[in-house]
Amino acid sequence: MKFFCALIAIIITVYANADALNIKAIADVKTVNNEDSIERGRIVFFQCRTCHYVEKNYGHHNGPNLYGVFGRVAGTAAGFSYYSEAMKNAGKAGFIWSPALLDIWLANPRTMIPGTAMVVFNLSAQQRADLIEYLQAFHD
Amino acid sequence: MEFDGGDDLIPGNATRRDFLRKMSVAASAAAITGAASSQPLRQREIKNWDASADVVIVGAGAAGIAAAIEARRYRVKALVLEKFDVAGGTSSLSGGVCYMGGGTPLQQALGFADSTENMYNYMVAAAGIHAPRDRIQAYCEGSQEQFDWLVANGVRYAQKFSAEKEVSRADASLYYSGCEKVFPYRDNARPAPRGHLPPTDDLTGGRSLMRALLTSAANLGVALTTNVSVERLVQAGDGAVIGVEVIDNGERRRIRARNGVVLAAGGFIHNPSMLQRYAPELNRCSAPWGRAGDLGMGIRMGMSVGANALRMNQGFVILPLYPPEDALKGIVVNLNGQRFVPEDAYYGLMGYEIAYRQDGRAFLIIDATTDYAPQDYRFKLAAHADSIAALEAALKLPTESLQRTVDYYNRFAQAGQDPLYQKSPHYIAPLIKPPFKAYDLDLTRAFCPVVTVGGLHTNLNSQVIHVEGDIIPGLYAAGRTAASTVLARYIGSGMSIGEALFAGRRAGAHAAQIKR
Repeated sequence: MKFFCALIAIIITVYANADALNIKAIADVKTVNNEDSIERGRIVFFQCRTCHYVEKNYGHHNGPNLYGVFGRVAGTAAGFSYYSEAMKNAGKAGFIWSPALLDIWLANPRTMIPGTAMVVFNLSAQQRADLIEYLQAFHD
Repeated sequence: MEFDGGDDLIPGNATRRDFLRKMSVAASAAAITGAASSQPLRQREIKNWDASADVVIVGAGAAGIAAAIEARRYRVKALVLEKFDVAGGTSSLSGGVCYMGGGTPLQQALGFADSTENMYNYMVAAAGIHAPRDRIQAYCEGSQEQFDWLVANGVRYAQKFSAEKEVSRADASLYYSGCEKVFPYRDNARPAPRGHLPPTDDLTGGRSLMRALLTSAANLGVALTTNVSVERLVQAGDGAVIGVEVIDNGERRRIRARNGVVLAAGGFIHNPSMLQRYAPELNRCSAPWGRAGDLGMGIRMGMSVGANALRMNQGFVILPLYPPEDALKGIVVNLNGQRFVPEDAYYGLMGYEIAYRQDGRAFLIIDATTDYAPQDYRFKLAAHADSIAALEAALKLPTESLQRTVDYYNRFAQAGQDPLYQKSPHYIAPLIKPPFKAYDLDLTRAFCPVVTVGGLHTNLNSQVIHVEGDIIPGLYAAGRTAASTVLARYIGSGMSIGEALFAGRRAGAHAAQIKR
């Protein structure tokens, strides 16, 4: 219970600061040329393909499919049955994936939602921005 | 500390910041290795131990868990320390393929003839000049027993063969996972399928494999602790390794290893500075593959006590032209417009050839009769043209180079032949119908998963060898932390896990029985 309260507190903190943190995170990276950013993001995302597909028809892999991930409640991709309790609890507490929250998550994976099964690699702010540009291209 | 992803950014995390300050001295030493210091502690620096076990195993992937399971057969206390939240290592994210043969029960049940000698002949031919023949011999001799061991530890296989070059069916458990049917290897040994994998719906055989092994390990009484990072070895005055120092929940602790320490902490594909230093061929590949723990910590700790390291520039480079196998009806050329590999080669051989022998660059050339147009993420179109001459010019290849290559290829392809690389007739077709297309196989931009395979020098008991040639007492290495039969000239899918199990089991068994 103590852990769960701490988790809620972290999520609330993240939400409260999301806008401010986002400005800080995005301000010093270049996403001016969207096509270039998406192409760089295609390559940054290669390592993530150990676990994730982003193409609509490719289904789930070690991790959930990321087609249309932005706007999805954490831990709720239909048909994916390997979520950690931590990720499911984050979703129940109202965590919804957005570009800003994904950026924070990728920079602070073990403190934002501790105990998830997701593997996060060390990425620069520019790489995170490019990756997020790329992922945003995949939606209905 | 470069991989800790910004833990120090959390407001109020004073302990963390203090810790980082303390580490600043170590950081200057770290400039050499690219990470925090892995210099060994001396026994005399240790006043008391915080915990102890007979065999301490660093890393909970296939190699580490195999070592632990085997150690428990001798009733000794086996403790596995895992740096991350989740056990299973890179193996648990893989397809779970294990390279086995010589006549496994599954090979026999599906009607494939194989023998230890036949398997050895293929492996030695495929591995090339770096092949460690004694190790391959032992690997082949133990292969049928390895299959039995996996089944005994709860791994399930389906009695079904797949003829695909890459298994995409949910229910198959055996396939040709290397170059067994490819020229010239098919002439060195009678082709036999040796890729064994648990059947799955979503190609996550590694999850099934590691779930079974982790369950078995737990049932056998293996102790496993997650979120404990092994940072340094502890060395006795005579050079023997007698324990480890870990960071557990921010605290440094010392754990005594009465019999030995098994380094099974993966390779170093996620350590860019080590990659640049040892393996620039791999650093430029687009997709570092594996769990975040492949930071080279095991290798660095071994080096810190004088271990030799072998083949540090080598890696398993995957260039997945297939599926679909239609791509193999094209030709792959280098910057001289020349072919250099049979296009139906195993994707690990294709990756090796491009990464190590073509400076990381190549093109796939196809025509309009080949119904291949990868709409996915892997490759980008480099050029298209209505003639080979125009394609050659667009790619800036030497004048007439690609034209001569295609003329020669087409002349024999009309008759279903390929005298140069003897592609399987199934993939031979002349390139005659425009438009012609060239896909960019530059490994910095094409989808190119890569793992390191260089590591600590070990003997057949997985004991680590000092640069002077002596065994380092109490120290073992297995999986991608050790150099092994897993080579840049990659023998076939399933070698990395197969070797991890082979070497891990030997490490666990030897350490458990040693008298200290």
